[in-house]
Amino acid sequence: MRVTLATHGGLAAPVLAGLPPDVVDTHALPESAAAELSRLVAAATEAAAGAPEPRRRAPDAMSYSITVEEDGHSCVLVQSDTDMSPEFAALLRWLKEHAARE
Amino acid sequence: MTSEFRHHCITPPYLLERLLKDVDSEVRQAALNTMLTTAHLRGERAVRTAFPGVATPGNARRTIYDCRNTTSLPFAVLARSEDGPESADVSVNRAFDMLGKTRDFFQRVFARNSIDGHGMRLDGYVHYGYEFANAFWDGRQMVFGDGDGRVFSDLTGSLSVIAHELGHGVTEHTTGLVYHNQSGALNESMSDVFGAMVEQWTLGQTAGQADWLIGREVFTPQIEADALRSMKAPGHAWNTERFGKDPQPDHMSKYVNMPDTYEGDWGAVHYNSGIPNKAFYLTAATIGGYSWEAPGLIWYEALKASNSETRFQEFADTTYRKAGELYEVGSAEQMAVLGAWQEVGISITGVSAGLARARTRTVGQNGDATAAVRALTAQVQELSRDVAALKGRVTAGG
Ligand SMILES: [Zn+2]
Repeated sequence: MRVTLATHGGLAAPVLAGLPPDVVDTHALPESAAAELSRLVAAATEAAAGAPEPRRRAPDAMSYSITVEEDGHSCVLVQSDTDMSPEFAALLRWLKEHAARE
Repeated sequence: MTSEFRHHCITPPYLLERLLKDVDSEVRQAALNTMLTTAHLRGERAVRTAFPGVATPGNARRTIYDCRNTTSLPFAVLARSEDGPESADVSVNRAFDMLGKTRDFFQRVFARNSIDGHGMRLDGYVHYGYEFANAFWDGRQMVFGDGDGRVFSDLTGSLSVIAHELGHGVTEHTTGLVYHNQSGALNESMSDVFGAMVEQWTLGQTAGQADWLIGREVFTPQIEADALRSMKAPGHAWNTERFGKDPQPDHMSKYVNMPDTYEGDWGAVHYNSGIPNKAFYLTAATIGGYSWEAPGLIWYEALKASNSETRFQEFADTTYRKAGELYEVGSAEQMAVLGAWQEVGISITGVSAGLARARTRTVGQNGDATAAVRALTAQVQELSRDVAALKGRVTAGG
């Protein structure tokens, strides 16, 4: 499974636009970390089904798109600072922590 | 969008100015002296007596909450309240102090009681999220992240950023400029205008002394970037190997077209704000003195006269019209506005470019008249400040 995090908008939108997305491949992870990431992805995906449409645009709020690719399928989760599920927030945090360690 | 009922307890400063201009110089001076004396000595008590029932909900009280690095606002803990003790947390105290400075700016410069004009409470949330390199206004409160410590620092470290976010609240409660395309870029620009003015007002800087940078403090020392944006030189705030170059345009010919999606920054709102930002800077630089006086008043009045769909051309026309109403048709202030928009590629509707250039030159050559207008403007601004301060004490429920 390959997970890609792209961050958009926010107060520093043009600065972030110049940065490449963070990519994590579970094949390159220790088994426990891969299992943890899979669990977080599953929870965020489940929470996203049935989630309401994003609220009105809050000035300077960031949006995050997390693309999950596995066995030729891909799915994209998009949430923003003002309408984030706790599950999405947990996945986002894991990805940011992982990127920081890289 | 949000509707608003405004109280006008006291003659707006610009009407006082017009009044002062209508009479001959001796009478004008006498009137000015009388008004100043009244404001200083008797006004406070008299006005208080006249409006005993004017109290405002919230009284613009500040409350700072600590998100403890989660993204949940409901579970944030109270960290400091208006009358509470200082916190041990520097981010909490900084947010508290800077919200106070911004609140005081709106009160004393524009006689505006908080974000909504009615004393709306100011709630700030700090330590939001994990390594959150952003700050935003969510319609009710301001949210600040700690930065990631590598590229971005703690966002509470920047007064221009805090005032920028509170400025979004003010715009939402005045015109509700829709956050996409040109209305969104104007929304962004107004927040930068407020951000720059609050900082310059706090530092006592004139337009000539200020550096006109927004978010000077947001990058960590490792990052070679001056600030997030430059109003004086859009497109030149940063140029780094890692992120490339600041892409803000400073002229309509460089307008950035991006899709109206989250990926396209809702039609490049943080990019194209460079155009009206530059127009405000040029207006302030041409008029001279303090940006929050004539230039700020013109922009603020133009914002209030705009609507949720206002685009650059309409806003430019409104600033030109307001400059004529607040000062005089053909005044140095109005010519400064005309020239500023022209320099960023926007011609005021109904004013030909050739005429605009000629009139700008005429005003430039007429040194005595310009100086006289400036001196009178300075006196009136002094008076406006007194009135605004007075009104502030009244509307604060005193
Ligand atoms: Zn903004």
